[in-house]
Amino acid sequence: MSKKQVAMVMDLNKCIGCHTCSIACKTLWTRREGMKHMWWNTVNTQPGEGSPHGWENMGGGFRDGEPQRGFRPSEADFGTAWDFNHDEVFHGGNEDAFLHANYGEWNSGENWKGPNWDEDLGGGEYPNSYYFYLPRICNHCTHPACLEACPRKAIEKREEDGIVLINEDRCSGYRFCQEACPYKKIYFNETLEVSQKCIFCFPRIDEGVTTACSRQCPGRVRFVGYLDDPDGPIYKLVHEHKVALPLHAEYGTQPNVFYVPPMSSPKMDAEGNPTDESRIPLEYLESLFGPRVKEVLDKIESERQRVASGEESELMDLLISRKWLDMFGPFTKHPRDVVSASPVRIVDPAQTAKVDVVRIMDIRSKS
Amino acid sequence: MKSRRVKDIEAYRNPLAAEWRQETVEYVKMAATPMAMQPTAYIRNSRANMLHGQVSELQVASVHDGETLALALSWEGVAPPGRDFPDAVAVTFPVRGNPILMLMGSKNDSIHILQWKAGKGVRSLLANGIGLSDKGPELKIASRAEEDGKRWRVVITRVLGQGANVAPVVPGHETKIGFAVWSGINDERAGLKSFSLDWIPFAVDA
Repeated sequence: MSKKQVAMVMDLNKCIGCHTCSIACKTLWTRREGMKHMWWNTVNTQPGEGSPHGWENMGGGFRDGEPQRGFRPSEADFGTAWDFNHDEVFHGGNEDAFLHANYGEWNSGENWKGPNWDEDLGGGEYPNSYYFYLPRICNHCTHPACLEACPRKAIEKREEDGIVLINEDRCSGYRFCQEACPYKKIYFNETLEVSQKCIFCFPRIDEGVTTACSRQCPGRVRFVGYLDDPDGPIYKLVHEHKVALPLHAEYGTQPNVFYVPPMSSPKMDAEGNPTDESRIPLEYLESLFGPRVKEVLDKIESERQRVASGEESELMDLLISRKWLDMFGPFTKHPRDVVSASPVRIVDPAQTAKVDVVRIMDIRSKS
Repeated sequence: MKSRRVKDIEAYRNPLAAEWRQETVEYVKMAATPMAMQPTAYIRNSRANMLHGQVSELQVASVHDGETLALALSWEGVAPPGRDFPDAVAVTFPVRGNPILMLMGSKNDSIHILQWKAGKGVRSLLANGIGLSDKGPELKIASRAEEDGKRWRVVITRVLGQGANVAPVVPGHETKIGFAVWSGINDERAGLKSFSLDWIPFAVDA
């Protein structure tokens, strides 16, 4: 058990599916060899297959405290990366050219999937079709199935903040962690023959800078802080107002990423008039976030009504995130300031997972 | 088991060399590693109803030329291409003390491993317990492998002698040897393998 636990809350009512978080993460962390297919941060349309495709049916996690068998997602399951054919499309004069280089091979093989291939398909029938976005990172679980599965003790949970890291120097590429993780958020680097995953931007966290995905989010979706810090946003949303819920808590790993479930437009009747029924089926949301979804949605609705009638609501102020930096608990420093104060920092190699810490400066965050 | 002294090792580097046919072949009985000894509950639970360690026999012959030791290893079971984990074989020697093979040694009683993996060649590892193997000492090692779709024939060579963490294999002396085989077709890796149960006396001709 770590002394403190860093955590994230994502408000799904504000996610617009722009993938800025994914790009921020990709740019910062997954540009090394063997990482093309890796998106440590993904944003998927729900309902949908997710990323990797069908991950909710790949097993792992715990039942009654016992580890459950899981399956290893393949690179194709995550969505094989492809190269773009920009030159031919824009300058080649061939009107039949596809933007996707090697389109024929891609379209005929097993590697046809992308990380969010069913984007915006969603569910329901017109005029009651619906979808919402579900961003996901490693959950840095309190009871990490990956860590417990590894025969080489290559995965550690940092005592100071509960961040779960793979030590690539110890990893032998056995991939039991991939099988055991029920969220399927561990990737395998076939070039380096090691498992890799979201590191909760720990070199930034160590310097008081929040994660790249949260700081870059235009929708102000992501709150970051310590789970047990009563003055921080995480504690308030999870424990005080109780509006942030874990994803698939039944997997038994005690994830430390929480979600404010999405409110829904009303269903339309045959005449096109709004009904009292929610367009996003409650049962579907409960299948993701558990039995407290209705209670949470009712609470948010009632707080909205209070604000609409002129009253004050701490919860609404928090969710609106009027003060941007209030979203990040103690991690409010600007990366530029950290870098200028300490351009090169040596980090214990046992903890870095071969991360190039200097790349903390890669993302020029908004001020 | 013994390693016969020959004039020159070079021809023996080829696992299909006619020279190997002159040598005595030892048939080493192999068995699946016990499930109870797998190091994590995940592995024990997830593999409880799956087979591993199905290679029941490893054929071994050995020669040396005073400088280099050659071990010819042959077993049935060639995984088709595209498996996540390669077929592999390992030769183990005690470095010092009296390590227990089934426990992969202990903190002070190390085991020196030469592990060959299909498509990757041979590497030196040092084990100090289950799940506690790491990069081993540097020494001159090499391998060549052939397969016919059914049977692997692998020759592993290493320089004779001893050094810090290099298990002593010295002409005129006896040591102990152990073996392990991983089958890619069964997703075997780490402790999921067949092994030779205990040490086998291994005499190196003077």
